[in-house]
Amino acid sequence: MASVSFRNVKKSFGKVEVLHGVGFDIADGEFVVLVGPSGCGKSTLLRMLAGLEEISAGEIAIDDRVVNDLDAKDRDIAMVFQSYALYPHMTVRENMGFSLRLRKAAQSEIDARVANAARILNLDQLLHRYPRELSGGQRQRVAMGRAIVRDPKVFLFDEPLSNLDAKLRVAMRAEIKALHQRLKTTTVYVTHDQIEAMTMADRIVVMHDGIVEQIGTPLELFDRPGNLFVAQFIGSPAMNVFSGQVRAGAVEALGARWPLPAGLGAEGQTVSYGIRPTDLRLADEGVAATVSIVEPTGAETELLVEVGSQQLTVVMHGRTAVRPGDGVKLALDAAKSHVFDGASGQRIG
Amino acid sequence: MRKKQLLDEARLLLVGIPVALWTLIPVYHLVLFAISPRDTATSGRLWPENPTLQNFDTVFNQKHFYLNHFWVQLGNSLAIALAVGAITLFVATCAAFAISRLRVRGGRTVMNLALFTYFIPAAFLAVPMYKTMANYGLLNSRWSLVLAMVTIASPYCIWVLKQASDKLPWELDEAARIDGASPMQLFRLVYLPLMVPSLVAVGTYSLLLAWNEYLYAFLLLSKETDLTLAVALGNFLAADDSPWEVLMATGLVYALPPAAIYYAFKRYMVSGLTAGAVKS
Repeated sequence: MASVSFRNVKKSFGKVEVLHGVGFDIADGEFVVLVGPSGCGKSTLLRMLAGLEEISAGEIAIDDRVVNDLDAKDRDIAMVFQSYALYPHMTVRENMGFSLRLRKAAQSEIDARVANAARILNLDQLLHRYPRELSGGQRQRVAMGRAIVRDPKVFLFDEPLSNLDAKLRVAMRAEIKALHQRLKTTTVYVTHDQIEAMTMADRIVVMHDGIVEQIGTPLELFDRPGNLFVAQFIGSPAMNVFSGQVRAGAVEALGARWPLPAGLGAEGQTVSYGIRPTDLRLADEGVAATVSIVEPTGAETELLVEVGSQQLTVVMHGRTAVRPGDGVKLALDAAKSHVFDGASGQRIG
Repeated sequence: MRKKQLLDEARLLLVGIPVALWTLIPVYHLVLFAISPRDTATSGRLWPENPTLQNFDTVFNQKHFYLNHFWVQLGNSLAIALAVGAITLFVATCAAFAISRLRVRGGRTVMNLALFTYFIPAAFLAVPMYKTMANYGLLNSRWSLVLAMVTIASPYCIWVLKQASDKLPWELDEAARIDGASPMQLFRLVYLPLMVPSLVAVGTYSLLLAWNEYLYAFLLLSKETDLTLAVALGNFLAADDSPWEVLMATGLVYALPPAAIYYAFKRYMVSGLTAGAVKS
């Protein structure tokens, strides 16, 4: 187990800089998820930590030891790849024991550790099989087993669930989380799926265009997104955002007045006003809207409504009798609103 | 639908039958001569009146002037072909690994330069090669032919292996590096086992290339006991009155090993030599 520090880390491919100075610390035993849209640099950052990419500038330290010039094999990390990267010509047992074999561990030790990892991951029955004889989920577990056997300082996961179907993804998500709770190994996990990030992370690092947008616990990011990008990236369905002007303690937008927490924003300031779909509700009084689509999912109902020219999403618990074309009134609490500066996109208040 | 199928098959046969005849008629003649007694060999009959294995007896027991060193020469052919196959395999595998997996700087240029040599027909290079071998004092040594054939076979083999290597997922190398493998361990424990089909194909290709080689063998070797069987067969034609039936019997013996090798490895040949032909 170990802590990890990124200090003003930069990465360039030729003349193109893809990481523009990333810095944050990961505590011992923490599960940190790097999340962001494709091309944001999260995988590159992970690969730099793994020793698979050179560090153009800045420092990466594992347990206060700078590893910039350390070979991948000397960093004591284990990585699970999106494509699993199992050796096709080796059985599950050989795949899992490969790193120990390279370290010239005694056969009895290899057997014991492979057996232990196999028990943790329910792979006991599959040890003699080849990767081609396994299902996607089983392969994923073997890849994790290969990492566990090493007993590394840090686990790295590079979009490990992207190749699995939706149902299996949910199951594996829980398995990885349970594994972390059991082993308590420092883990860095890369994904573009914000739901994965929300459900698994102790802390989330939101990245965008080679910089860190915000770092925080899942609920911190959800409740108080620091800027417009994080606000729209975290949460599903995405936050409703539209621009307007601050007038007399409220925001005027889409031909209606939207409540502001007291004292927020300067008179006449252009702002982006955000409200989560779950924080909008149908009421007798409020902003007039027209329902355009009703999507019942059983426990919840998702409504697409039109206010002015803007489409907003409303998620309500239970069921509703409203139909497309109906006029409704939307109500919300000022405290639940998120207000961002119109120019910089930074959170106000 | 059925009519179209028939038409397609008819077209295939239209091409297939001439090609089959074209390929098989020389083989047929080879066999015909090889089992005919000397006096009826050129009689023009479709099948000899008294088929005989006498010619093979002559060959195997070295009972003819031209065949005094048959077994030695067959051994030469075999030794040279095996050496060429092994050395080419070693050179091409190392080169392909370095170019494709280690991404050695300038590797691609080297490979392209090597491939460029194929723009010059091997026959043009025969005399320079002769001169080079003379400079190294290798003339009349079987090594000269081995080295020459390795030179000729390598570029293509490197290219085929490089294409096949490029298809191996890059993550395997990365996983192995993280697992603690050095480049040599990566080569031995991950790369080689996964390349086996291509290695078999390339090894067979270079082995057969050397087995079938005439020109370079003819040029570089002169001592009768150093010759390969291909050159010895050519020497049959030095006389006005060539013993065709013995020549053909020897030829048949000479043609069997490649056929056997090809048959044994054809599964790899087809998949290996076309690997990299299309980008998948």
